[in-house]
Amino acid sequence: MTERRDETRIEEAIARLVAEGRISRRSFLRRASRGGLVLGSALSLPAILAACGIKPQTSSTPPANPSGSTGGAPTPIPSPAGELDFANWPAYIDIDDKGKYPTIQKFTKQTGIKVTYTEAINDNEEFFGKIQPDLEAGNQTAYDLIVMTDWMIQKMIRFGYLEKIDKSQVPNFTANADSLYVNPWYDPNNTYSLAWQSGITGIGYNPTLTKRAITTFDDLLDPAFKGHVGLFSEMRDTMCMALLSIGVKPEDATVADVQKAGNKLLAAAKNGQFRNFYGNDYYDELANKNLWITIAWSGDITQMQLYDNPNVKFIVPQSGGMRWVDNMAIPNKAAHPVDAHMMMNFWYDPANAVPLSEYIGYFSPVKGVPDLISKDADAAEAKGDKATAAQLRVVAKTVNPTPDELQNVYNYKRLTEAEELAWNSVFEQVRTG
Amino acid sequence: MSAAIRRLRWAVPYLFLLPGGLWLLVFFVVPMAVMASISLQTGSLGTGYTLSWNFGIYPEAISQFATQFLRSFEYGFIVTVLTLLIGYPMAYTIAFRGGRIKNILLLLVILPFFTSFIIRTLAWKLILADQGFVLGTLKGWGILPGDFGLIATPIAVISGLVYNFLPFMVLPLYVALEKIDHRLVEAANDLYASRLQAFLRVTLPLSMPGVFAGSLLTFIPSVGDFVNATILGSRDTTMIGNVIQSRFLDFNDFPRASALGFVLMATILAMVLVYARLVGSDELTSG
Repeated sequence: MTERRDETRIEEAIARLVAEGRISRRSFLRRASRGGLVLGSALSLPAILAACGIKPQTSSTPPANPSGSTGGAPTPIPSPAGELDFANWPAYIDIDDKGKYPTIQKFTKQTGIKVTYTEAINDNEEFFGKIQPDLEAGNQTAYDLIVMTDWMIQKMIRFGYLEKIDKSQVPNFTANADSLYVNPWYDPNNTYSLAWQSGITGIGYNPTLTKRAITTFDDLLDPAFKGHVGLFSEMRDTMCMALLSIGVKPEDATVADVQKAGNKLLAAAKNGQFRNFYGNDYYDELANKNLWITIAWSGDITQMQLYDNPNVKFIVPQSGGMRWVDNMAIPNKAAHPVDAHMMMNFWYDPANAVPLSEYIGYFSPVKGVPDLISKDADAAEAKGDKATAAQLRVVAKTVNPTPDELQNVYNYKRLTEAEELAWNSVFEQVRTG
Repeated sequence: MSAAIRRLRWAVPYLFLLPGGLWLLVFFVVPMAVMASISLQTGSLGTGYTLSWNFGIYPEAISQFATQFLRSFEYGFIVTVLTLLIGYPMAYTIAFRGGRIKNILLLLVILPFFTSFIIRTLAWKLILADQGFVLGTLKGWGILPGDFGLIATPIAVISGLVYNFLPFMVLPLYVALEKIDHRLVEAANDLYASRLQAFLRVTLPLSMPGVFAGSLLTFIPSVGDFVNATILGSRDTTMIGNVIQSRFLDFNDFPRASALGFVLMATILAMVLVYARLVGSDELTSG
């Protein structure tokens, strides 16, 4: 991990050297995440080789007690171990100028738990691919707490890879969680997961380059933008947005619908319409003008407006966008489950949720966060810090979805394994030339 | 005592080979066997994988990804030729005209290794961005059309590969050229050979071991590379390394990924053997 940190620093230096204009520290982090992807993939080969012992699963439904080690009850031994390994996505937490995480430091001060926080996740499928062999073999992974998107949580529940959450250890969740994040479609009763942050998948674009306003998904296929359009390398967002554009709700989609949506994208792909398929790194490509228009995540565009380019815009296309929730979850056999529960409980305290949201600007699952951010903005203004106040006001507005935004967004479909394979093979034709 | 040691002298070479042999056993032979076994399994993550001796996956995988295989070998070939064309004059100059700064020049060749491969490749993406430092300036001067781009084209991927693997060509060439006894060239000149003839009939043949080693060190890793295509390429530059990587990590399709890995290895091995025949197999050992 230290190796990756060093590289981040080196990269910052390079970027400073060659970049024109202002590039925020956050986009450095994102850039580093791509390096992380490639490095991570290379490093995980031993893990893959360990997969030779892949055993058939005993049952396709999630076992009642996936770990088997806690004797039927989900209650772990209720004393913390003093350590926690937390894997999250890049640029998904507040960070200070020295590269430290202030809110995590606060947690350590309060609880005495030493947190190893790593930005190890760049892509749901890829991270799953890395930890899957260990989970399947019943081994411990390197992590106590991971952050995965809703559909991946559903997939991991399907495989029985997650520990149950003991609600008595997360009283703040019960007290402060926004009702949108309680009892979600992918995890009834929040048995295995609690929301971290959430957002919308829509379209981000640079109006200076597209030279017109964007309103529909089909604008991504406009030949005028040929070679400057980005799609996501993760199958679900890309295929679901395409499904919506042919009038099919992802939840109702059949394999035939998926094939139809795939063909629509494939025709454009063969004409060189898409520059590439991106993970988190689409952010840089849009910020540095290689991409004019791309599928995008709402919070990213808020950040880009604040730090990189005030002109970029985020829209939910007329045909609809996707609503996603990233969740904290404990992988099977985690070494420090009590510490992980304490960490989850910690983030549902508004005192900690606010600094997080002020920094990253996604939708917060904690009640009352926008009001508290507005209060901080007032405080900043009272102190005469107008710039900070203005930033906080932007964040306060975007930290909860507006009713309008929630009207035209859809959930992912719970895919069976057979469906997932079929969807993947359609998508692969689009993605691989 | 000493007689006992003398009797065991036959074992010395084997003892010397032991660490390397063990290393190969643990990190090459065992993983290969595991991969071979995985490639012949069928199943899925949900149902688990069982060994079913499914040899059919090999022709299936080859035909499914023929485009990417061909593209990888095409890129590998172009990269090898380009690195040779760029690297030979470089190595020649360092070896014969380097003089007192020879060591500094060699240091410059290996200097890029002081930073990570990935960082250097990412840097190119920034440098050559459509509106970046280089292209943006040239477009501003009107030298390039506004919609010109390098990133996400085959040119970017091939250039990235050439850039990254050039030292692997230069160093073996340098070693081969540096060993050449310059008096042989002088002798050729004394026998009325022109400088070109002397080069073609003395220097070049004597440097062939370097050409051979350099081509292998460039061709093999560039065919299997996926970093450059990921960072600098697009959908239409997908190489077989990208397919294997995404088969393993995105699709958890271990059997097909392993099969593709084997096909890649076997093809490279076959090409190397043919190449060794053409260039002269004794160079493999005498180089």
